[in-house]
Parts: sequence; structure tokens; C-alpha cells
Amino acid sequence: MADLRDDPYARYAAPPAAVGAAPPSRDAPAEDAGSAETVVTAGTGGSTEVVGTAERVRLLLAEHPVLDGHNTLGRLLGHTPPHDLEFGESALDTDLPRLRAGGVGAQFWSLRVPAHEAGHQRAISATLELIDRVRAMIDGCPEGFRPALAPGDLTDARNRGRVASLLGPVAGHALGDSLSVLRAYHALGVRAVTLAGARWADRDGALSRFGQEVVREMNRLGVVVDLSGTREEAMRGAFTVAKAPVLFSHSAARALTDHPANVSDAGLALLGHHHGVCMVSLAPDQTARAGRPPTLRDVADHLDHVREVAGPRCVGLSGGYGATADTPRVRGLEDASCYPLLLAELLERGWTDADIAGLTWGNAARVVRDTEFAARTAQQRRGPSTATVEELDGDQAARQRQNGWPEGSA
Amino acid sequence: MTAPVPADGSLGFLDRARALLTEFPVVDGHNDLPWALREHVRYDLDRLDIADDTSAQLHTDLPRLRRGGVGGQFWSVYVRSDMAGDDAVSATLEQIDVVGRLLARYPDDLARALTADDMEAARRQGRIASLMGAEGGHSINNSLATLRALYTLGVRYMTLTHNDNLRWADSATDEPGVGGLSAFGREVVREMNRVGMLVDLSHVAATTMRDALAVTEAPVIFSHSSARAVCDHPRNVPDDVLELLPANGGVAMVTFVPKFILPEAVEWTRRADENMNAHGLHHLATTPEAMKVHETFEAAHPRPVATVATVADHLDHMREAAGVDHIGIGGDFDGTPFTPEGLEDVAGYPNLIAELLARNWSTPDISKLTWQNAVRVLRAAEDASRALKPTRAPSQATIEDLDG
Repeated sequence: MADLRDDPYARYAAPPAAVGAAPPSRDAPAEDAGSAETVVTAGTGGSTEVVGTAERVRLLLAEHPVLDGHNTLGRLLGHTPPHDLEFGESALDTDLPRLRAGGVGAQFWSLRVPAHEAGHQRAISATLELIDRVRAMIDGCPEGFRPALAPGDLTDARNRGRVASLLGPVAGHALGDSLSVLRAYHALGVRAVTLAGARWADRDGALSRFGQEVVREMNRLGVVVDLSGTREEAMRGAFTVAKAPVLFSHSAARALTDHPANVSDAGLALLGHHHGVCMVSLAPDQTARAGRPPTLRDVADHLDHVREVAGPRCVGLSGGYGATADTPRVRGLEDASCYPLLLAELLERGWTDADIAGLTWGNAARVVRDTEFAARTAQQRRGPSTATVEELDGDQAARQRQNGWPEGSA
Repeated sequence: MTAPVPADGSLGFLDRARALLTEFPVVDGHNDLPWALREHVRYDLDRLDIADDTSAQLHTDLPRLRRGGVGGQFWSVYVRSDMAGDDAVSATLEQIDVVGRLLARYPDDLARALTADDMEAARRQGRIASLMGAEGGHSINNSLATLRALYTLGVRYMTLTHNDNLRWADSATDEPGVGGLSAFGREVVREMNRVGMLVDLSHVAATTMRDALAVTEAPVIFSHSSARAVCDHPRNVPDDVLELLPANGGVAMVTFVPKFILPEAVEWTRRADENMNAHGLHHLATTPEAMKVHETFEAAHPRPVATVATVADHLDHMREAAGVDHIGIGGDFDGTPFTPEGLEDVAGYPNLIAELLARNWSTPDISKLTWQNAVRVLRAAEDASRALKPTRAPSQATIEDLDG
């Protein structure tokens, strides 16, 4: 069922002069929207109380936790001695106490394997290994995580105080150019695929005919299309084909930081037009400017920019955590517990409660939900696609299917 | 083939066979329809509809499965053993995918079966319990997580090798390599036991069979192998291994492939292969030139023909050596170009049962052969898995760790 409470605008009336307003100064009078102290009308009683920014953040996160677009913890599981995710693991930047402290209520667990695995004929198996580890992690902490396969599971997990765990995105080059492999991933619980990295997503920079069919089949199955890192022309191709809103699972604004995984203003405008969501990356290399180490305020600048260009309903959060504790981070955003600091900064910059609720949960949850709804419609119109890359792209470099062998296997 | 009608007016063997199969239908251990659909029509199920008569192209379609009294089928999700790495895995996933599409397309006839209970439920509903078996460890790309993914996707047995050796297991039809199972190979068997996937020892070298039987904590199967004592071919099971089955609880499922079961056909095939090699061709080549060479050979040397009786000879011996609780049927239809007389396609099973009735096989023996042993062995694998899971975590071993 649709989670009606996901609509951030139903509960929080947008305060006047919020969206697009110039950030007020820190010394502004308390009653100004967006200042450090503000008036919140509580949903139930209608009583009015004055609360501080930290308390506002806490209240907002309680209702609209962070649906985080990118965590690579799966890569570390199994490589190092078993970690105690449940009670805290200081060697890592992600564990349950810190996810809880950060107000993370849902997590896309990245399953992207390095591109060189494809060269070693190991991309699919390596992806299956990641799926195996992340599923084991989720099943191993039933008090902390709940698997999320459908939009209703997001709400359900949130209501139970568990971190809804979405499998994905998988790397495009781990599809083995086969829609059957895509369907197998879906059957194993994967709910997002990154197009970037696949040959069919970069045919001279564009989405090939097979790539278009991959997007259609993802829409039919209910797998979220992730465009992070996709070339500009391929991205436009995906927007044209996609019947459901897309995500950028970990991208910041190219206008502020020139990084291949970041999105240009043109891309962000298109995203706004198509009601997708750019989950803004907190990674230092994607948010640094002018050669100085990035701070929390730089990340906030990226969030401001994406909200400005794509719109407040098209922006989300993507921590990019899931690394060892010594990994370089944006100052102030060292681990998964730091979201409240970032949200406080945004409130002080004049983001409304509704904007924050959309940023943390509502916008990305809407993409997951719309993807599922679009799939239900598509499944009534078409069956599984049997198209092959050879057929659609006529690619000589495609997988060699040698002939002249017997059909038998006796 | 018509069954003789006994003088006392009781039902003929063929009619009795059909009646028996109504109650205890055949669970067949190996059918290569998925690969045939890949080769013939690139998985386009509209172009080759198994609800119709497909006898011009296939051994298998739904009407013939029904006539043959088939109530359970392990569909092989075989991929060629010259495939390796991701290519083998993705091709296996494509094979699994087409089985899923068949189940979705023919829900009145085919029922997905993941457990022994599912098989019994399908039998009660009059549908064909459809299971999947992977044919060759190359399908898991040396990755136990990939093995677990195949299980999650519904695969319920894996043949350890196909025609070629793996780094961790020797095939029956290759030169000795690691001499059976390597340390990683033994870990594969243990992990299969833990997840509840049957270990299939068809195609593997006798050394591998013995290693696997020494290590396994659950019953094994031979999804399509006959008796080496009756026909000395490496694809068949030697007596010492058959004799291990009662203690293990496993099941050897007799296969129909003439070149494995009929000594004359073994010899003929050897000479035909030599002839191909003498003409500078691969013995399995099917190019027009190769077919011509082969036709010339066949015109000069008529191909020996196996019959229902040939298969029954194997079953008689296997029942003797392994016991009636440890035998089954795995025809390998659509996995072999030639089939025995009377077992031309999947409609043929009643002829085999009639032959066994004529050889005085009892009704309980036949019901074990056709249905009960196969269901029991899957249930035993589930039980073993249930017992092992609390004691062992999913294995994280790699081939590099164990085999260096």
C-alpha cells in the first residue's frame, strides 16, 4: 500500500517565504522561518511550541528518517574479521548505533563491483557474493535491519524502528549484457541498478538500443534506474525511455565540483522535469571546491544547488559510508551518525520542515513507490523481454555464442 | 509397442504400467529442454510452443509428458562446459529464467517445486512438479555465494562436473586431474549439504564419486547414469559405488543414452569418433561437412539400436547392486540425439514400466523407482540442511584459500 504519510506536505504546512528565500542571517529574530529557533505546529494537537534547531531535527528525523542512497559496507563484510554491527564497530564508519544516531531509517546497500571484475569474468559472481554478504548481514541483525522489497516494507521497517534495507544498486557491467541476469538479481531482492559502466550505457556516450531495453525491463520489474556516473547523452536517453522516475544514487552538483559522478545543471533540470531524485553525495572528492578540504557547509551548498536547480522534491541524501573508520571524510560528516548536524545547517539556511522531510525520506521513498507502481502497470502490458545485445546492438564484441556444437549435454 | 494380454484376462502390462503411473508418476532426473529452447529458438517460447506437438524438433512437450506419465521433472539448467567464468554463470541464469517463464506460461501443467512437499502437492493437483538441476560446477564460477544464489533461485541439484575437469573436481570423460575432489571441491559438497542442494554425481569420475560419498552429509543422486557392470562406459556407475548408496541413502537414476548403455553402441560411437577425427573434425562437430562424413560412416556401419530391454537390464542390475530404494529414472531427453526403441521421447516411460512388469517387478518396487525414491532423497537433503544450518555458517571459503 502507498504510504500516505510519506507525503511531507500533508503534515507540515509549508511556512511562507521558505522555498528559494535568501538564507536568513544567524542573528535573525527568532520568529523568522528558517532561523535557529522557530515555531512548529505539532501535527496532532495543533498546539504551538517553540523548539530549538536540534530538537526540530530530532522531531523531523523521528517522522522522516534518512533514506540513504549509498553505503558500501557490503564490500568490507567477509574480507575482514566479523564486525559487531549491532553494538558498535569502531573500525568502520557504519554500525547500527551510529545509523540510529544519524536517524537513518532506510539504506540502499551498494552492490557495485569494480569494473576490473568484468575483465576477469568475475563481475556476476562478485555481485552474487555481495548480495550474499549483505543478505547475511540483514538476516543476522533482525533487531536492526529489515529487508525491503516493496515500498510498503520501507514504511513497515520505519514503524518498527528498523533500518529498511534495499539491495542495490548493482553495477551495470555486472548484468553480463543479459536481461535474464537482471531478472535473477531482481529475484534475489535487488531493487536498483546503476547504468554507468555497462557497454550499452556508453555506446559513444549514448544509451544503445539494448540499453534502452534494459531500462524498459527494469521498469517492468520494478528496479530503480540509477543514473549516477552515466554519460550526459546516455542519461538523456534513459530519461526518454524510463516510465518511472530515476535516481542518482550518489551524485552532487557538477556546477560546484567537477567530478564524473556529479550531475550537470542541465541534468538536474531534466531530473526535476521527470520528478526523479538526486541523492546528494557526501563524499569529499565529490563535494570539495577550490582545492581545500570540504566541510559540512560545502555539502550544504551542493544540497542548496540541487534543490535550486532540480527542485525541493528532487533532492535526497547519499552518505557514501560503509568504509573503514580512517577513510577521509568531509569534516563534520565523519560517519553515519552525522546527519542531524547537516540537517541543522540546512534548517539554518532556511530549508522548511517540508523540504527536510522530502530530502530525508519523502522524495526517495516516492521514487521507490512510483517505480513499483509503474512496474505493476507494465507487467499487465508486457512479459519478460527476451531481447539480446547481439540482436539489438549487433555488437561483434558482444558475448561470443559459438555455433556448430551439438545441442546435447549427455 | 503393444503389450501382450495375459491369458487370464487381466490387464496387459502396458495398461497396468499406465495405471501405476497414474498413482506414482515418473520423476525424471534430467531433461535438457531449456538448452534445446535456447538452441532452437533463442528462448522465444512463442516460436516453439510445448503445449503443441513439438516432435519434429524436441523429445519433450506437455502432451507427451502427460502420455508418458511424468509427474516430476528436474529441468536441467545445463550450460556448455567450455563456458567459464561469468559467461557460464550468466548462461545458467538465462536457463533458470526460461524455466521460470515456462512455469508462468503453463501453470495448468507445470508447478514450481522447491521441496519434497511441493512435489507431493503437485502430484495431488495432477500437475508436473518442476525442479531445476544445474549440470556442472562451472556454473558457480568457483564461488560458494554463486552456489547459494542458484539455490535461492530454485536449483535443487548440481552435477559436480560436466564433460570436462574443473579445478576442483575430475570428470568421468577427462584425464585424471586432482584425482577426485580437491579441498575446495569437498567444501562445495559440504556447502551443498548445508543449503539443501542435492549433490549429483553423474558425469564425474569414479574417484570423484568416492570422494563425494566420503564427504557428503546428505544423500546424493546420479541424475542420469546407468550401470558400468552392464555397459562399461565411464559415464556409468561402478558397482562398488552403487553398493555405497544404501548407507548414503542416495538414488541412481538410470539413463537412456544409447552410447552409454549398449556395449555395441559404445564401440560404434568410438569408431565413429575415430572416423571423424581421421577426417580432421571434432567428434562432436555438427557442421554440414561433419554431418556428411558421419552419414557416410553410418551408411557403411549401421548404428546399433538400444531398446527398452537394454534399459531394463541396467535397472535389474542396479536394483541388485544398490537396492530397490536407491534407483530412479533420468532419461536425458533433449540432451541426446539418439534414444532407445520404445523410449523415443518423453511419452515412452510406460513402455519401460511394462517391460519391468513383464520381468516381474512388483508394484511397490516400481512406485519406488518412479516416484518415491526421488521424493525421499530430496526430503533427506532438506532434513540434512535443517540439521546442519544451526551448526555451520555459510562457507566463505575460496578456491585460493583451500587449493592454493
